[in-house]
Amino acid sequence: MKRYIKYCLLLIASAWSLVSCNSFLDDNPTDRLPEEEAYKTLSDLRNNALGAVYLNIGGSSSSQGLQGTARSVYDLNTFSTDEAVIPTRGSDWYDGGIWQNLFLHRFGNVDFTGDTWNYLFKEVLAANRAIERIDAYAAQHPDESVVEMRAEARALRAMFLFYAMDLYGRVPLFMTSEPTVQEMKLQDRSVAFKHIVSELQAVDADLPWQASPRPGEYYGRMTHAVADFLLAKVLLNAEVYADDDWTDDQRPDGSAMMWDVEGTLMNTWQAVEYYCEVITFEGYRLADNFEDNFSISNEESPELIFTIPMDIYNYSNRFVYQFRSLHYNHASALGLNGENGASATIEAMNTFGYGTDHEDARLWSTYYYDTVHHDKTDDLVTLDDGSPLVYRPLDVKLDLSNDPYEKTAGARMRKYEIDFAAMSDGQLRRNDIVLFRFADVLLMQCEAMLRDGRAGAEADALLNQVRHRSFMAERTATLDNVLDERMLELAWEGWRRNDLIRYGLFTRPYTDRPQTDGDRHGYTLVYPIPGETLTACGCSQNPGY
Amino acid sequence: MKYHLHWRQLVAAALFAAGLPVMAQPAASTDTLTYMQSPTVVTADQVSQQQVTNPLEAINGRVAGVTIQKSNNGAAAMSAVRVRGTTSVTGGNDPLIIIDGVFGDLSTLSSIYPSDIESFTVLKDASETAQYGSRGASGVIEVVTKKGVTDRTTVTYNGSVGMTHVARNLKMLNAAGYRDAVTRQGGMLIDKGYDTDWQKAIQQTAFLQDHHVAFMGGSDRLGYRVSLGYMDHDGVILHDKLRNLTSNMNMHQRMFGDLLNIEVGMFGNVQKDQTAVYDVQKTFYSAQAWNPTFGTSRNSSGGWDGFTYANQINHPLALMDSRTRDKTVHLSTHAKLTFNLTENWTLSLFGAYSHNEDEIAQFLPTSIWSGGKGYRSSAKTESWMGHAVVTWDKTLGRHHVNLMGLAELERDTHTGFYTTTTGYSSNDIGIDAIQAGAVTLWDGTGSYRNSPSLASFMARVNYDFDNRYSLTVSARADGSSKFANGNKWGFFPSLSASWNLGNEAFLNDVTWLDDLSWNVGYGLAGNQGGVDSYMAQNYLVPAGIAPMGQNLAVTLDQLINANPDLKWEVKRSFNTGLSAAFLGNRVIASLDFYTSKTTDMLYLYNVGVPPFSYNKLLDNLGSMRNSGIELALGFTPLNTRDMELNINANVTYQYNKLLSLSGYYKDYWLEAPSEVDLVSLNGAGFHGGNNHIVYQMVGHPLGVFYLPHCTGLKSDGAGGYVYEIADLDGSGDINIANGKDRRVCGQALPKVLLGSNLNFRFKQWDVTLQMNGAFGHKIYNGTALTYMNMNSLPGYNVLADAPAGNIKDQTATDYWLERGDYVSFDYLTVGWNVPLSAKVQRTISRLRLSLTIDDLGTITGYSGLTPMINSSSVNSTLGVDDKNIYPVTRSYYLGVNITF
Repeated sequence: MKRYIKYCLLLIASAWSLVSCNSFLDDNPTDRLPEEEAYKTLSDLRNNALGAVYLNIGGSSSSQGLQGTARSVYDLNTFSTDEAVIPTRGSDWYDGGIWQNLFLHRFGNVDFTGDTWNYLFKEVLAANRAIERIDAYAAQHPDESVVEMRAEARALRAMFLFYAMDLYGRVPLFMTSEPTVQEMKLQDRSVAFKHIVSELQAVDADLPWQASPRPGEYYGRMTHAVADFLLAKVLLNAEVYADDDWTDDQRPDGSAMMWDVEGTLMNTWQAVEYYCEVITFEGYRLADNFEDNFSISNEESPELIFTIPMDIYNYSNRFVYQFRSLHYNHASALGLNGENGASATIEAMNTFGYGTDHEDARLWSTYYYDTVHHDKTDDLVTLDDGSPLVYRPLDVKLDLSNDPYEKTAGARMRKYEIDFAAMSDGQLRRNDIVLFRFADVLLMQCEAMLRDGRAGAEADALLNQVRHRSFMAERTATLDNVLDERMLELAWEGWRRNDLIRYGLFTRPYTDRPQTDGDRHGYTLVYPIPGETLTACGCSQNPGY
Repeated sequence: MKYHLHWRQLVAAALFAAGLPVMAQPAASTDTLTYMQSPTVVTADQVSQQQVTNPLEAINGRVAGVTIQKSNNGAAAMSAVRVRGTTSVTGGNDPLIIIDGVFGDLSTLSSIYPSDIESFTVLKDASETAQYGSRGASGVIEVVTKKGVTDRTTVTYNGSVGMTHVARNLKMLNAAGYRDAVTRQGGMLIDKGYDTDWQKAIQQTAFLQDHHVAFMGGSDRLGYRVSLGYMDHDGVILHDKLRNLTSNMNMHQRMFGDLLNIEVGMFGNVQKDQTAVYDVQKTFYSAQAWNPTFGTSRNSSGGWDGFTYANQINHPLALMDSRTRDKTVHLSTHAKLTFNLTENWTLSLFGAYSHNEDEIAQFLPTSIWSGGKGYRSSAKTESWMGHAVVTWDKTLGRHHVNLMGLAELERDTHTGFYTTTTGYSSNDIGIDAIQAGAVTLWDGTGSYRNSPSLASFMARVNYDFDNRYSLTVSARADGSSKFANGNKWGFFPSLSASWNLGNEAFLNDVTWLDDLSWNVGYGLAGNQGGVDSYMAQNYLVPAGIAPMGQNLAVTLDQLINANPDLKWEVKRSFNTGLSAAFLGNRVIASLDFYTSKTTDMLYLYNVGVPPFSYNKLLDNLGSMRNSGIELALGFTPLNTRDMELNINANVTYQYNKLLSLSGYYKDYWLEAPSEVDLVSLNGAGFHGGNNHIVYQMVGHPLGVFYLPHCTGLKSDGAGGYVYEIADLDGSGDINIANGKDRRVCGQALPKVLLGSNLNFRFKQWDVTLQMNGAFGHKIYNGTALTYMNMNSLPGYNVLADAPAGNIKDQTATDYWLERGDYVSFDYLTVGWNVPLSAKVQRTISRLRLSLTIDDLGTITGYSGLTPMINSSSVNSTLGVDDKNIYPVTRSYYLGVNITF
């Protein structure tokens, strides 16, 4: 009996222990989908393939998003220039010297140059993945059209490559979501430039003629006008982008570069003008008021071409730029929070004519300065001791520590209408973030005509169309005046670095910013490429880093 | 069983017996442990000495090679435990906790009341931990709870009452000093006319009481024990409370003669914590740096006055309005059937089910969180585990052979959800009605489920000759669901041998030597603790609502780089040791050496985008070395009927070196940068930039300080001083970025750890003193860097010493890098076993009263609040004191222990 029980138990035990172990170790998740399940219908394709690219055009964390977030594309294009500065204010905003290093063009010590690269190429890879998914779907469903979707993904990819090329010079040009080491080799800037132009031209015709900033089916999406804006912008910088050696102080001549535009051969400046004309033809026009572009309901503005849609409840896109600019008391008077940081430079104030008898009308719409009042109630904003808060635009310095105006120096960012319903310190709000708008198109067209040697009434008219809208006196269209106008019109919109490099002024010295060695050699015209990417592709770093 | 207990276990037990030399049989109650080499055992008598929230704290300093970072973080603190150091940089460094055979983690220990513990057994060597496979790769702490005794019914009561107070705070400027300093600097003085010590304003004297009652009894075929425990501890920060109700029930019974032995047990607890500290650093930073001229009353609108220049901190009492409640419920049941089939064959079947639930409720009022924040979450873990063990045991003359086969399956199912609301218009209700918040953001709500499983098979052969030579060989295969097919299984053999010289004839004549043995072992252990479910395959998860088009639709996207090549991390370790007892067992010593190399080490690489879509990839590239020497000494100079003195000490020398962090993933060469920052400073003006303090660097120990060198203070030309930084790279200019003017200047992990324990008994009185120490490491005093910077005024208060120094700089240099060496007097207990008359003893068999003082003091050269910061866990606080240290406390309590 005892023996019988023993063998019986041993048998049970060994049977139990030999249950099919590999199936026991299979883990089939129920809170996520395997890749092959996620792109089965057109709607899946739109939401998951394209959606993955759109999801991150704006962002909610540092270095993510084209605009709205800190330490990202926007900061690299703004706080490295004569437009704006984040001064050190005692123990505030020192942050290990990162903002000073950015302003002083010591870019090797600005760690978010790498994070920004990673963001841009994450988007390129997402676009590649989207294209692969779309192609796989098209192969299985030959009777359904995915042409528009595919064009959208390609144009988005070209847009992110444009930002990457603009910031870093050399970029890899790969067409898959899992590039090989060979495909990842960094391409010369001129190669990337031509690639971006040809990609945008190739998909232009397949993109919808729809207004992307307007709520509806095409809200926030890549449309025909967006691609044309990009073409104009990229071509306007042709002399910069076609130049593979930015350290030799020599650039190719844009007038000598010829482009096939819809079957017609044009020089660079004519091509820019062409794309600007197409956008005008599509019906984009200046909004009646400058402020309409930045109001809570700015999606109605006819001037906007491409925006980052904002929604307090559903989208995670944030807008931190006012939050980090406004004085603590100013922000809290508005029911928001502020970090008392970003300010306009003295150069910007001078361009706006601050404190002179020829102040630009847009000074008031763009900045808070001097004594400030609540935007709605008009109450005076005061400091903790009851005295009025006075922003002092001309007392701004790179390091304000121990300065009497440590906390109050510098004009602050207004531009966007305050949203009193905003959440999360005022970072979640309803004003859509403006990426591309028509005023820029007019100024680009004007500049292209000037660069093509066609100064005169037609160019003047383009410039003054922008100035009239803000009730400013006419100016003659010259390259210098256009650059000033770009500051007046586009301050806080993330274009200053691009403009200054095109004008050859990015590396010049100005207040608080002596010229560095890197500036003299031209190294600082592009940012360093992150080491991880160089390691993976076995490529060399940009010169000077 | 013939071999009841390896003599080394007895040595270890005696070594830590704290003056009570007769031991119950410790952990080796399972036959499988019989041949293990050198488990270190701590028994019940130490556990009951000290007032502890987590039972592990009771063995702090008792076992060589075991680091228990006694956490001072409030009432519900968790300890960090390392057995023989940190061997993985990714995870899985916590030892496996086994309570009566049920696998758990450090948090499971809160379900056991310290008085219910019979013994702790610490397994350190690979051959010892082989029994428990991958989960035991970082050491095993076995906890055995007390069981019913035969033929006697007993009731015991343990109780204590006590109090804790703050013994030390930072000395900040008072209101007069603050006014003076701000005025002299010409800053804007906001003077509300009060003089408040904000550190004291958020503190309280805390009371605590503990009660525990146990019933036990049995007959010759049956035994049971049931206990109930209740802890009620307040913390020294306002609103800090911990309540813990525990229960432990077990019974054992024999059936069919001696054929079947049944053990069934159940233990569980309900623990409720409440705190107003939702962010440790924000709380203490605020309490230390808030303007001392502010008052402690609410303003006319019922809120707290703000101070807008201090935007990184809050009114300390506003922070105290926040509430975080954490309720954990743990329930565990297990059963074990042991069949003594024949004289040689034994089969044991074990099954366990555990259920863990963690419920968090939080409310942050609008004064400290924009729009207010309400949060609720629930996380559940259900765990099934079962194993079958067959053993064959045979003695033939002087030969003894033991064979063992084991099969084990385990599955954990984790589920949970959370939701967040904001947009509160009032702070009157929140934590229990989070719908009072108007806004529920998309990314504030979610749920999840995952269900990883493990399967294991093991075979072991044990051979012993004449109680002198013993050899153990084991082979183990572990399979994990977290890896892709082809990588699921790992094979981990181990080998150990021992020579018991004490039983050799040639030592029989050496009278002063009572015992001597030598052991050696080598083994592999697999670790997958750093791997989460679903990291080996691409899956798409809800990633957000893409702002496109008119319909709201959630995008599914992959959010990590999946790595199908993930596999087991392997630790190869070698250990050898000597133990000896001299002079009639009055001196007991053991010396152990170990060295381990972790290969295929899991590491989260920063990778290029492209080729990867995200900039992090977990991969098995890299290796690390851990070595150490452990010396334990026990000395009994006095041992008479009335008087006894025991002195125990253990010293651990540990050495760690990161050997490599590079290799190929497919065609791509991956390499961690030469400097990877682990710990950075936080606070106003410390966001990003060159504020990294502790780094991980190949060729160095894990966690080294890599800092610019400050040669001294230099005048800033305006009466103040700044840190003068050396041009270490000789480039002619100062650049404190990585790779430039920086150098490695110390390590964060101690090189030497010391534990010592003194026990003196005189008649019915006994005294126990426990000391711990750590040496050879450094601490970065980020708190002083911050609070010595006069530029922080007027927004942030400074140390009382700051105006005299007049430093106007907060560049992180080695100026504030200090030696971290310390010796701490952990506790002192005075006990009195009340003599009872024979008449009384008929009802009360034992009565003991005790008085304990916790945290008597610390001897250190460190200038900050306390050197006992995190110097063991490799995480974002390692080695850095940065405004996030709980005040130093001292506790006193009276205990009573009655046995009926």
